[in-house]
Amino acid sequence: MFETTRYEAGRRVRGTVLLSIGISLYAAFIVWYFTVLEGVSIEKLFEELPPAMQDAFGAESLSTIEGFLGAEVYSFIWVLGLGLYLAYVAGGMIAGDVENDRLDLLLSFPISRGRLLAEKFASLLLPIVVVNVVVGCAVYLLVDAIGESIELTHLALTHALSIPYLLVCAAIGTVFSVLVSRAAIAERGAIGLVFVLFLVESAVGSAEEYDWIQYISPTHYYDPTTLLVDGSYELIDSAILLLAFLALLLLSGIVFDRRDI
Amino acid sequence: MGTDPAETLPIEVTDLSKDYGEVLANDSLSFTVRTGEVFGFLGPNGAGKSTLIRMLLGLLKPTGGTATVLGADIHDEEALIEAKQRIGYLPAQLGFEEAVTGEEILDYHASMKGEQRVDELLDIFSPPLERPIREYSTGNERMLGLIQAFMHDPDLVIMDEPTSGLDPLMQEEFNEFVRRERDAGTTIFFSSHVLSEVRRVCDRVGIIRAGELVELEDIETLLDQGGKRVRVHTTDDASGEIAALDGVVDVTQFPDGVQFIYTGEYNALVEELARHDVRDVEISEPPLEDVFVHYYGTSGTEEGADGESAGEESPDRKSAGEESIDV
Repeated sequence: MFETTRYEAGRRVRGTVLLSIGISLYAAFIVWYFTVLEGVSIEKLFEELPPAMQDAFGAESLSTIEGFLGAEVYSFIWVLGLGLYLAYVAGGMIAGDVENDRLDLLLSFPISRGRLLAEKFASLLLPIVVVNVVVGCAVYLLVDAIGESIELTHLALTHALSIPYLLVCAAIGTVFSVLVSRAAIAERGAIGLVFVLFLVESAVGSAEEYDWIQYISPTHYYDPTTLLVDGSYELIDSAILLLAFLALLLLSGIVFDRRDI
Repeated sequence: MGTDPAETLPIEVTDLSKDYGEVLANDSLSFTVRTGEVFGFLGPNGAGKSTLIRMLLGLLKPTGGTATVLGADIHDEEALIEAKQRIGYLPAQLGFEEAVTGEEILDYHASMKGEQRVDELLDIFSPPLERPIREYSTGNERMLGLIQAFMHDPDLVIMDEPTSGLDPLMQEEFNEFVRRERDAGTTIFFSSHVLSEVRRVCDRVGIIRAGELVELEDIETLLDQGGKRVRVHTTDDASGEIAALDGVVDVTQFPDGVQFIYTGEYNALVEELARHDVRDVEISEPPLEDVFVHYYGTSGTEEGADGESAGEESPDRKSAGEESIDV
């Protein structure tokens, strides 16, 4: 069991370490920057922006460390950065194997296609979990180091509830990956769709007539800034994300099973 | 190997077809591979060899007919997965990941299939296991491919163009290895587009051209009389005389010489050549396409004939009918 996951995860260790270090360094920079900006009325700066932009930046209570981190680290790195990264990596997963004639040999193994796909997907849990744990700890220690404090449960929830969201982004990539035979096309398609969904959610949030459109975007169901500041969340949101993830993965499985490869 | 061969033929193909719409890659193929033999599947590039192999492994879904591999119907995923534990596969393109070492690849394959024979195989083939694949030569990569194909002691090994990219010396070693495996009881099925290679190691041969299987009875003749391609640089007069020899076909004249397929006695050819002022001579294996031109008047790479669909359906109906009579 899980031989493929183990092998594929082994191939992701390097990237995961680099990603964790990179994001931790960025978080350190943001925490340091917060100490520099203290006393400056940051919210005033953002008030001049249109509401849609404010929403996109998650510009709420920027004068607190929670609000500042939520806007500068989590809204960008987690919702957009990691979302795009996982869509990209998952996009190249099967399509890359097809393009490099690698899949022939993998499919000659005595396991079903469904299991091969599921095990390959499971290897993406490595970056998802490790980056959350490492950066979560780093942020807590960094905030502590500058003499501020952050509610531990809020921070833990922000990271934990990002996992269903990131799984959906990876599953979107997987759907593209089983549909096309060129890694670059699957990767671009997946990134493009996740980015468009991110934009759609931020753009229509303030237009009441079309506000239903935001419900199709996974970003609607994960709001790190609110989580960090108030610790408030709806379990139904995470449930919707998990269901969407399972549905997308199932769809990928069906497509992959029926494909001539 | 102890089982009744009539019951579990390693490969049994029945009216198998694959129609891509524009191209009919396999047209109602039927043949069997017997236990413990080396079966060569010969055809020019583009004749549909890989398509057949990929259908046998469940990578492609046939559009008509069926096949069994070690008794498992290729339409039955569960049964085929079960059978794959006893099948080794060497694809035409290995596609190993560049950054991974040979050892990591073998470990992964071992965890999926088993590694009963890996030590023994590493005594015969010696790819640099500690190095990443990107530093491998083609020969090293093929060796790693052969090890993974045989490492779990399979009953049946399917190989797609196994010798492409091997130098002649390694090809000879490969042939020797295949013969030993056959003698040890492994059934081997491999595709090739090189006539001489198939002639050297195969017990039986199926020839595919334009997606159709050529009659098995004709193969011996074809193999015996395949001939050699001869290219002679000489004077124009000599060219004419040499080309007039018995057994010369498919003559092409060029400015300072002549090229033809020679199917006659070698002594006669050498004697004839000795009589003229030969500046250069090259005797080589003719491409399979040329052999087909010689025997069938057409090359084997053109699209298959239409109108076969009615024929490929009938055996299914017949067997269905038999079942209903039994009931």
